[in-house]
Amino acid sequence: MAGAITAAVPHVAETKRAVSTESPAARRILISITVLFLTIFVVIPLINVFNQAFSKGYEAYLSVFFPQRPDPDAVLTFSQKRRLAEAAAQAARTWRSIGLTAAVASIVLPLNILFGLAAAWATTKFNFRGRALLTSLIDLPFSVSPVVAGLVFVLLLGRNGIWGPWATKLEWPDPFSLHWVGFADGFWPLAFGQTHVGIIFTPLAIVLATIFVTFPFVARSLTPLMESQGTDEELAALSLGASGWRTFFKITLPNVKWALLYGVILCMARSFGEFGAVSVVSGHIDVNDTMPLRIEKLWNEYNNQAAFSVASLLAFVAVITLVAKSIVEWKAARDIERSD
Amino acid sequence: MTIEVRNISKSYGPTKVLRNIDLTIESGELVSLLGPSGSGKTTLLRIIAGIEQADPGSGAVVFDGEDVSGVDLGRRGIGFVFQSYALFKHLTVFENIAFGLRAKRRRERPNEAQIQEKVKSLLELIQLGSFAQRYPSQLSGGQRQRVALARALAVEPRVLLLDEPFGALDATVRRELRSWLRHLHDTIHVTTIFVTHDQEEALEVSDRVAVMGHGQIEQFDSPQEVYENPANAFVFKFLGNYNVFHGRAGAGSFVRPHDIAIFREADGGQPDARAGVVSHIGFGGPVVKIELEGADNHRVDVELTAQAYHELKLERGEKVWFAARRAHVDFPLDYSI
Repeated sequence: MAGAITAAVPHVAETKRAVSTESPAARRILISITVLFLTIFVVIPLINVFNQAFSKGYEAYLSVFFPQRPDPDAVLTFSQKRRLAEAAAQAARTWRSIGLTAAVASIVLPLNILFGLAAAWATTKFNFRGRALLTSLIDLPFSVSPVVAGLVFVLLLGRNGIWGPWATKLEWPDPFSLHWVGFADGFWPLAFGQTHVGIIFTPLAIVLATIFVTFPFVARSLTPLMESQGTDEELAALSLGASGWRTFFKITLPNVKWALLYGVILCMARSFGEFGAVSVVSGHIDVNDTMPLRIEKLWNEYNNQAAFSVASLLAFVAVITLVAKSIVEWKAARDIERSD
Repeated sequence: MTIEVRNISKSYGPTKVLRNIDLTIESGELVSLLGPSGSGKTTLLRIIAGIEQADPGSGAVVFDGEDVSGVDLGRRGIGFVFQSYALFKHLTVFENIAFGLRAKRRRERPNEAQIQEKVKSLLELIQLGSFAQRYPSQLSGGQRQRVALARALAVEPRVLLLDEPFGALDATVRRELRSWLRHLHDTIHVTTIFVTHDQEEALEVSDRVAVMGHGQIEQFDSPQEVYENPANAFVFKFLGNYNVFHGRAGAGSFVRPHDIAIFREADGGQPDARAGVVSHIGFGGPVVKIELEGADNHRVDVELTAQAYHELKLERGEKVWFAARRAHVDFPLDYSI
């Protein structure tokens, strides 16, 4: 995956210029190899995901997310009651993992947009000592195994870590537990329903690990475009008396909006799907499960159909991402062409 | 507005791009900075604009007696036209021109009706009245150039700075825009500095030309003066084609191709005429370029008017005599361009 991403936007422009010099036979063989490879490794597995998810029928698929409610009038045996309660608990865990995945993405995305814009701006519009080093550091998460990244966080913030003594005592309110409590207790009507202690093995660690794994995407998709656009338009805006902020929002941002969106799509897809880094820092606690972790647990519990049902959601998101990516990619390539 | 550049130097690392530049431009003047690439002319323009800063402690840029060296680019009251035009791709022509007006601080900002009126009058000025809703990508090079100029003029700058304004245009459009710029300057009288490497352009349009080379100003004078009385060999060589005839040790005699006369007879009235063979004839419309091969295979370029060429009826391989009507002597020969 990393290889495909590092090529990012400029790759698109290059493929258009590709001129074939091979004989028709060689071309046919190359195309067949590509199609065969993609069929075996992408198309068949993807179809299999949906096939397995619906293997016990449409109702079984739905019951993974919406378990059957017992008929209030029916008389149930103890084991029937237990099975129903179990299914309800499983569905609740699945919903929690979906919620956590969405929550993590909603925190990671804005941070990565800010970081990506700042990094792309710094490395393309300024010339300074160490710029090349900074550019390669931004790519680091592509070359480091996510599991290693997760371990680094554990070693830094865990009980025996360098910052362990501080990190394990840190108390932080869960921003998603903010709820309405009314004015009975004072002027401020909102309160946090949940407070966590520590960082590792809490959702905060999952956020940190996901940021680490996804931060290059926005920066990498902006860099080629910003480089080709240069600084003339910004300088023109400044010379006309515009402030730095106005120049950024009226000139720079509109010029890179498609490349930015492209980076956001990649970043979102990765943050939904990240497994390795998140797995290490989650501590395998149920409440810390994101969708990929949840899928693994269901699989390990021999609940294949449920595992594939949750996986089908991720696969569905992937397909939508692919479509959105193609549209945005096309628009971003057009921006690069225009700026040449 | 008068612009004074006082003792400005600029280096990029070990490379000195500008060396102790002094330049005073009078209010309302149209001045060109003319020089080969690498002469520092664009850097000087960008320092006057405030896009780049001169070396610390090296001098000052002064507008109307006020030192603006520390003033931000946006607060200097300049209008800058970039070589690439730098039009805002995602905005219409109208919004491009209105950009500077809308960016003004609330107290100074004109209301919508005033903006509409101002932009309309600028569109008329650049003869693009019906192009208000087009995007830059739908315009030709010359039209883009004029929009860039109108955008810079919208904020009523005290000085207009143009970086190679016609560099990217084809020859016909260049000539048209050149005379258009001259007329525009005669109408609005804003102090204007433009950078160019095209001698003809600089000589034709400007009130005064600053010829730059090696990070210095070699000569700053009226076009006629720099052309007819060049301060040194660099200026002479840069302003046009030339022939060198070796004279006394260490000095050369520099002659423009059009200052050489060709005769059919040895005693064509010129006692110092030399012999040569016509080796090439290049017909260039009103001017015919003749190559002569003199003694010791010394090549001499001559430009004749078409009329003189027809009167002489020259043929290739013919032996003729030539003499300089006018020469610039005594520039040291080791001065390289």
